[in-house]
This record gives sequence, C-alpha cells and structure tokens, in this order.
Amino acid sequence: MSTETHILGIRHHGPGSARSVVAALDAIRPQVLLVEGPPDADELLPLVAHVEMRPPVALLIYRPDDPKRAVFYPFAAFSPEWQAIRWALVNQVPVRFMDLPQRHRLALDAEERESTALNDPDRRVRRDPFTLIAEAAGFSDSERWWEEQFEKRHAGPEIFKVVLELMTALREEQPIESLDLRREAWMRQTMREAQKEGHERVAVVCGAWHAPALATMPTAKSDTEVLRGLPKVTVAATWLPWTHRRLTFASGYGAGIHSPGYYEHLWALGHDGQLATRWMTRVAHLLRAEDLESSTASIIEATRLAETAAVLRGCVVPGLAEFNDAAQAVFCFGDAAPMALIRERLIVGEVLGGVPTEAPQVPLQRDFQKETKRLRLPPEALDRKLELDLRKPNDLDRSQLLHRLRLLRVAWGKPETARGKGTFKEAWTLRWEPELEVALIESAPWGNTIAEAATRFTIERATQCETLPELTALVEILLLAELPEAVESVMQQLENQAALTSDVGHLMDALPPLTAVLRYGNVRQTDATMVSHVVSGLVARICVGLPPACSALNDDAAAEMQTRVNATQSALSTLADESLRTAWSATLRQLVEDDALHGLITGRCTRLLLDDGVLAAGEVAARLSRHLSRANPPNQTAAWIEGFLAGSGLVLLHQMPLWNLLDGWLSSLTPDHFTEVLPLLRRTFSTFAPPERRQMGELAKSGIGSVTTLTAAPSEEDIDEERANRLLPTFSLLLGNPPETRS
Amino acid sequence: MSTPALRAHAEQQFADELAALVRHDDKPKPPNWKLSPWAVATYLLGGELGGEKISAKYIGQRRVIEIAIATLATDRALLLLGVPGTAKSWVSEHLSAAISGDSTLLVQGTAGTPEEAVRYGWNYAQLLAKGPSLEALVPSPVMRGMREGRITRVEELTRIPADVQDSLITILSEKALPIPELGDEVQARKGFNVIATANDRDKGVNDLSSALKRRFNTVVLPLPESVDEEVEIVRTRVASLGKALEIPAEPPALEEIRRLVTIFRELRAGATADGKTKLKSPSGTLSTAEAISVVNQGLSLAAHFGDGSLRAADLAGGVLGAVVKDPVQDKVVWQEYLETVVKERDGWKDLYRACRELS
Repeated sequence: MSTETHILGIRHHGPGSARSVVAALDAIRPQVLLVEGPPDADELLPLVAHVEMRPPVALLIYRPDDPKRAVFYPFAAFSPEWQAIRWALVNQVPVRFMDLPQRHRLALDAEERESTALNDPDRRVRRDPFTLIAEAAGFSDSERWWEEQFEKRHAGPEIFKVVLELMTALREEQPIESLDLRREAWMRQTMREAQKEGHERVAVVCGAWHAPALATMPTAKSDTEVLRGLPKVTVAATWLPWTHRRLTFASGYGAGIHSPGYYEHLWALGHDGQLATRWMTRVAHLLRAEDLESSTASIIEATRLAETAAVLRGCVVPGLAEFNDAAQAVFCFGDAAPMALIRERLIVGEVLGGVPTEAPQVPLQRDFQKETKRLRLPPEALDRKLELDLRKPNDLDRSQLLHRLRLLRVAWGKPETARGKGTFKEAWTLRWEPELEVALIESAPWGNTIAEAATRFTIERATQCETLPELTALVEILLLAELPEAVESVMQQLENQAALTSDVGHLMDALPPLTAVLRYGNVRQTDATMVSHVVSGLVARICVGLPPACSALNDDAAAEMQTRVNATQSALSTLADESLRTAWSATLRQLVEDDALHGLITGRCTRLLLDDGVLAAGEVAARLSRHLSRANPPNQTAAWIEGFLAGSGLVLLHQMPLWNLLDGWLSSLTPDHFTEVLPLLRRTFSTFAPPERRQMGELAKSGIGSVTTLTAAPSEEDIDEERANRLLPTFSLLLGNPPETRS
Repeated sequence: MSTPALRAHAEQQFADELAALVRHDDKPKPPNWKLSPWAVATYLLGGELGGEKISAKYIGQRRVIEIAIATLATDRALLLLGVPGTAKSWVSEHLSAAISGDSTLLVQGTAGTPEEAVRYGWNYAQLLAKGPSLEALVPSPVMRGMREGRITRVEELTRIPADVQDSLITILSEKALPIPELGDEVQARKGFNVIATANDRDKGVNDLSSALKRRFNTVVLPLPESVDEEVEIVRTRVASLGKALEIPAEPPALEEIRRLVTIFRELRAGATADGKTKLKSPSGTLSTAEAISVVNQGLSLAAHFGDGSLRAADLAGGVLGAVVKDPVQDKVVWQEYLETVVKERDGWKDLYRACRELS
C-alpha cells in the first residue's frame, strides 16, 4: 500500500504561506496532518478550536522543576501552523506535532550548558536561510523578499514545489547543525509512524528549511541511530495569552516578526486587490482619530505615490516600505513623529489574545503558590492586616514578594503607614480577589517565576514611562522589591529621562529615593556605582537648573520648592560625596545672593548654608538685618523669616549664634518697627510646638548670660562613668541585642 | 563666452553625464521628461549605465531620492524640507536639470517676493501703449514652466509672505493659471511640476497654510548619517573657504574638527554618540554649515590672536555662540552638556576648561 505524502514548506508567521497552506489542504484532503511543533503539547491541540481561544496565543513548554527553562511557541491568526491545525480540527482530521520533543531538547540544553559548548564552532547561530536568498536577489531583508516573491503574488499551491527546490539548492551550500539533524530525524520518524497507520494521504506542514530533509527519506535505521540515547526531562505544557508586541520579540521559532499588525491586515484582506487603498485608509483613520489632518484626497495621493515608488523600485505591488514612505510624505508632511504612532498602532498593533479557562495552570501561578506556602502567607479573600519586621528574613522575603506583585500590578497587598518609628517596619493590608488570578495569568508571558516576571515587566514598563515622576514612583517600589537586574535597566532609563526633563522639581523628587539606596540599601557593588553615577548626573542637572527654576514663584510654588530644597539637602547630607555637596552649596549660595527671589527660598537657603557652616554667623546676621529692613515689603520679610526659621524651634534653642542674632535684631528695633513686624514674627513662631515656645520665653526672660551656660557643651571630664554605665544595658536592649544578665 | 561664469548650472556642469544617460536610457519616460525616473535616480545617486560612470550628486539615503522622483512622476508637487545645509537646493537643482534639462526656472523666495514672481507681471510701457495684451504680459518662471511643460523651482518657500504662497494653490490643484485681465488662462502642459524647498527649523518663517501643504508631498532631507561623513564635509569646505578668505593659520587638526562635529551631532540628536546618555537639544539648528563657520572663526582667532594652530580655546567661543541662541533655555542645555558629558570625556579636559571660563 502506498502513501501519498505532501510536504508544505512554509515561512513561520507568513500570511501568504497560511493562505497557500489552507488552499493546499483543501485540495489534498489529507487523512492525517503533521505540524512542526513540540509533541509534548499534542494534548493541548484540541483547545485551538475552542470558542474562547483567541490568537495571538503561545504554547508554553517548561520544566516544572525549573520553570525558568521554558520555550514559547507563539501563534497568530495568520500563522500557517495555526491555520493548518484549525483546518484539521474543523475537518476532523487527526493532527499532531512532529518536531523533536522539548522533553529532549530542554535536556540537551541542560547538558550543553554543562559542557563547554560555547567555544564549539558548530554552535554558531545559523543565518536565516531566506536572508541568504534575499541578499542574492538584491533585497535588504528576507521578509521583503518573501513578500515580493510569494505573498504579494498570491501564488497557488505550486509555490510549495518552488520552495522545496530553492531550499534543496540552499541546503547543499549550508552546513546543517547537529540539532537540526536530530529534529529532522524525529520528524521523519513521526511521518513513518503516520504512514504505517495506513493513511493514504499525509500532509506535513513545516518550516521551509526542513522541507528538503523530509522529502527524501533515508532509511529508518539511520534515523533511529541519530536519535539514540537522547537525554530526557519532565516537561509540562500550556497555552498563554500573547500580544502582538511580544510577537516582535525573538522566541521559540527564532526571530520575531517586525510587523504583526500589517500581516494581520494582509491575512484579513485575503485575495482582495485593494491592499494599498485599504492600508492607506486605515492609516488615515488612525491619524484622524488622533486629530491629525488626513483627507480622502490624501489617501488617493498616498496610494498613487506608494504604487509609483514600487514601480521605481522594481516591485510588483507596493509593500510596507513604500506605504511608510508614502504615508510620511503625504499624511505627515515629512514629519517622522506620527510614523511612530502608525508603527505602534497599525504595523505592530496592540492585540491581546485569550485562552480558554480549561488550559492548564501556568508556571507563574505555581511559583506564586510555592512562594506563599514557603512564606506562610496564604491568599485570603478577607482584609488581613500584616505588620512586617524587615530585620527578620521571613518578613523581608514577604515584603519583597508583595512589592514584586505590586510591580506586576497584582494588587494583593496595599501598603499602609506603619505605626511607630523606624525604617524596619512595614504595614500591609492583604486581600485576595479572583481577578488577581487573572492578573497573574496575564503576567505569565513575562516570566515563570514572580521575580523573573517582575524584572522583565518592570524593565518594559520603564521604557514606556514618559515622565520622570512616573519613573520615580516605579523606582521607589522597585528598590524595595530587590530586583537587581531591573534596577540596572531602570536606572539607565531614569538617567535618560532626567536628561530630557526640564522640570527641576521632578529631578529633585527623584533624588531622595536614590540617595537612600546608596546610603542604606543593600544593593550590589555594580548597582551602587550605577546609582551613584545617576545621582551625580541628577545633582549636576539640579544645580544647573535650580536658579532659573526659582525665579518668579508665587507663594504656593515657593512653598513647594522649599520642601524640595529641604528634601534635596537632607538627601545629599546622607552622602559622603564631597564634590556633590560643594556643587549644591555653590548653588544655594547663588540663590542666596539673588534678592529678587521669593523670600521663603532665600531664607531657607541662608539657613541651610548656616547649618552647613558655609556662611559665617556674622554674614548671616548682615543678611538677616538686610532682609528685615523696612524697605522690604512686609510679606517678603515674613516669608524670609519663615524660610529661615521653618521647623527649627529646637535648633533656635540650642544654637547660640542663631538665638543671639535674632535677639540682637529684635532689641535693636524701634517701637514702631517692632509693632510692624510683630504679626509676621508671630506667624512663624506659632508654628513651633508649645513646649519650645515656652522654653524660648524662659530663655528670653532669663537674659543672654544664662543662655550661654545652658548651651555650653559638656566637656569630657564631666562624665560620671558610674552613672553612665547604668544606661548601657538599656541601650543594648534598644539596639536589639538580648539583655545581658545584670551583675 | 569670453570669461567663464563664476558658477555653472547643474545641466552645464554635468552635461556629459546627462548626455550619456540620455543615450543609454531605454526605460519609459513620463511625458516631457528628458530621462526616465530610473535614469534620474542614477543621475542623483551615482552609478553606472551602459558602461558610463555617473558621479553621485547626493550622498545619503536612497529612499529619500526615490520618493522624491516618484512624487514628481505622479505629477504631485514636491516639497523638500530640512534644516539648513542639508543640500535641499542642490537636490532640487539637479532634479530639474535631470528631468527638464534645465534648472533655471527659479523663484527665489524672500520676505519681499511679490505675487508677480509667482503669477505674471506687466511691461508697463507696452501696457500703456497697447492696453492689456499677451505682448504686454511678463510671465513668471512658474508660468513659463507651465507653458513649456518643465519643472519650476521655488526656493525658500516659507520665506515668501503667506498671501503670495497661496497663489500657488490654484496652480497646483487646477494646473492652470487664469489671466482675468485678458479673459484667458495658461494651462500647464504635461511635464510641468514644482519643486519647493523650505527650512523647517529657522525661526520667523511664514508657515505654509494647510491648504498649500496638502498639495505637496513632503520629503525631509536628513542630516549626514555618520560622524565621518560630516567631518569630511566640514574639512573640505573649510579648506576651500580658508583659501578664499586667505586665513594664514595652519589647516585645522582633524581631531579638533571631529570634536566639534561630535558636539554638534550629540546636541542635535539629543543623545551622546554611544547612545548611552540622553541630552536636551538647544533651540538652534547646529547645521553642518554652522560647524564650518565655527571652525573658520576659530582659525582666524588662532591666526591673529593665538599661536597659529587651532586650539580648544579658539573654538570655545564659537561653539558657545552657535549653541546658545536663547540666553535662558540654551544656556541650561549647554551647561548640562558641559557638566555631564564634556567634563567626563577622556582628553576633553582642555575643552571643558576653555568652555567653563567663558560661561
């Protein structure tokens, strides 16, 4: 009994190939269909025809013991494999995958990693066979070549013969990798099995590259020889929702495709000859929706231009390159910015696939369950308060897990403000909702463990942040989530954004979390240099941009700026970097010199410089009296004092020079002058705490002499050692050490 | 001609190449075109046709030129857009030389360009003697282009006052120019088209009305792609200019030009050359032409006040003047660039110090 075998060599994700495959299958009507793909997922094939299955989706094969070792096989509606499988399911023809199973390939991978395979010349990345042909035909890339030769010509089933011949010729000149030999041997074995089952017509859908190897069958014995002794591991498989954006990444089938949205358009259009018109109309509609000008007349002109350009370039019909050039010249008036929009929305297209609920659990869910079990943190549908002590390893891990989930937008834990002081405490409210399960599944394409997914997702999110505050907010969570790999890339992004932002306020907001990491965080050495590089860049930019940003502020804006100046000062004071602080001091000095600025700012800066010892007390006194002189408008004076003294009631008590300055100035006032500034001073002093005010009153009553004794620093000889020693056990307790037995 | 012209037209300078292309061109030609679109592309981009070598007139992206030619072939008007010094006029001159064999139908756009330059004027002696008649009419280059079916060039379109610009609208959409005084009109013959050039960065231009914009296909001519390409342009131009101006200094070190071009390119692109750090861009254009003038200025500084060879200090002033056009915004941009990029770059300390002293 003879078996007819039809080899359909396709281009992965090629809409033209998909059309040809369906037409060929309709003509051949095979009794069994074999598709290049992992047999480990054979049981999942019937789900393809499920009503809830919406491409793009991906087949995921992974090792349950090590979910990081995983392979994705993405499918779009226009993938030939997808259409072939659907054809088989609809026509009730048995269908199975025929590639070397991943249970062997993942095992081979593991072996290879252990041996020193990296230096093996055979392991070089194989060049795409179509690239070689395309280059020979004078095309810059293989996708365009295939488009020109086959997909745009709507070639019939005879294209498979042409492809077979081309590939046969090409394979004669190319070295075949050992892995390919094994894969093809497995494919042939699967074909032999199908033939043995007694089917009259077998159809095989595989990558064009493999077609010649399947067309001529060597002896079954030699194939058995090739496949002897393959290592094996346990693997699991499931379906995942995929996106068009992720189709553009490299994955299980090798290179990603650049234009899934365009391909979908090609696929949906079928044999309609109106490709150029329809595409240009879609472009026009998109631009119109974004309030950009695009008339029907422009569509006509863009179509004509694309077609003429295609002729000039020697193409049969215009392709994406001509469409883009024409759209830019006609719709966008030469501007490249709207082209990015067209690329994102149309050429790539934001499409999210869907997977039926019957699909097996994804590894990310398993990892989540494993983690919650390990950390004794079961998901509950009730609000649950949780207080973590970050000094305990288990609590620290819990905190990191919750922060990582926040990065993945799985909002299980809501951070609360912890009661009591200390940076080692963290409070959360936990509540598990069913939709969080969905959020977890949606995150599955990003990685198979929570840490991995959070890292990749955060890197991706960071590239999409358009403003510095968004990025800063992300960085704040990220630094708590302990994901060193993400830190590196997000820092790079932060640096880029910092360079572009013109809002000094945003730069200043970004600084404190970063200095906190440098000072207190447990980042690795490489990250530390990275963060410190970003910090010094930020400080340089703040120093350049701050003086112009401080001019012409109203009261509210000045108050905001004052808070930021304070925050920057305290952030920088935690760093040991002298050059940064010098630059910062110089900037503050520059601000102090400018009398036209808002009083709140100059007052604050004067005070900060005094605290840092940059300005001498005498100099400050001169400034104080200058700013309090009658010529200044009263509200400006009040603002200066407010800025100068803000929040520092206690400091006034302990800093003798400050007290003396203010006291000296007050006593020098004439009665009239005093009455005039009294309300302003009251306003500032009323912000101090009552005990402080009382102490100040007493201090003023007792006169300057007693102040001196009160603030005189105790000398070392004055320490009563016996009394001091009695305090030590309490200190040690406070520092977290177990109490010693008192002697 | 007894003395040669100071500058020959493209069709005179490259007459041999054009003739060679005509001889070997066997592809279909649009009506009234001297060459086929393919031959025009070869003329602009260089190459070989029938064994004759054609020099490249435009060095840059092939697709830009292809779209420009395809636009003209679809009888749509072509607008070449770009910052100063991106060879817009050069491309427009060569396109019309190749297509119509003549690049002299030219309207030079200025703030004072009158409507007569776009439509038609009158010879007043004739007008008074004979009244309105075709003999008294003085055709504009546009009108001549329409009558003869040739390409007309409009240089610096955005400098022309808006109302004069708009008189192009009828010409471009109806392909006809009415002459109400005579109750007549001029209908464009096949082969007529307009190539306009405009600057998209300079301040103070008359922006095109959207009605006019819609009648053009716009092609943006990009800045030189690589540092080496741009360094070479600056070097050769400086060498020829230096000769003409008789500046006595030694020719500048390539290294110094490279630094200057790097600064210009980085600020223009808004990112360092290695792509690692993003930067703010100043409001000025920082074109290749400006780089050339900064080097020239530095050279004369070095010759008259320095030691004769170009040093960082001689360049610093020119760079500052080229970058800081807006005293507030650009100053921030420049200082940030100094502090975050120039300061940290190996071997740029002298430049950093020289620039710091100035700002």
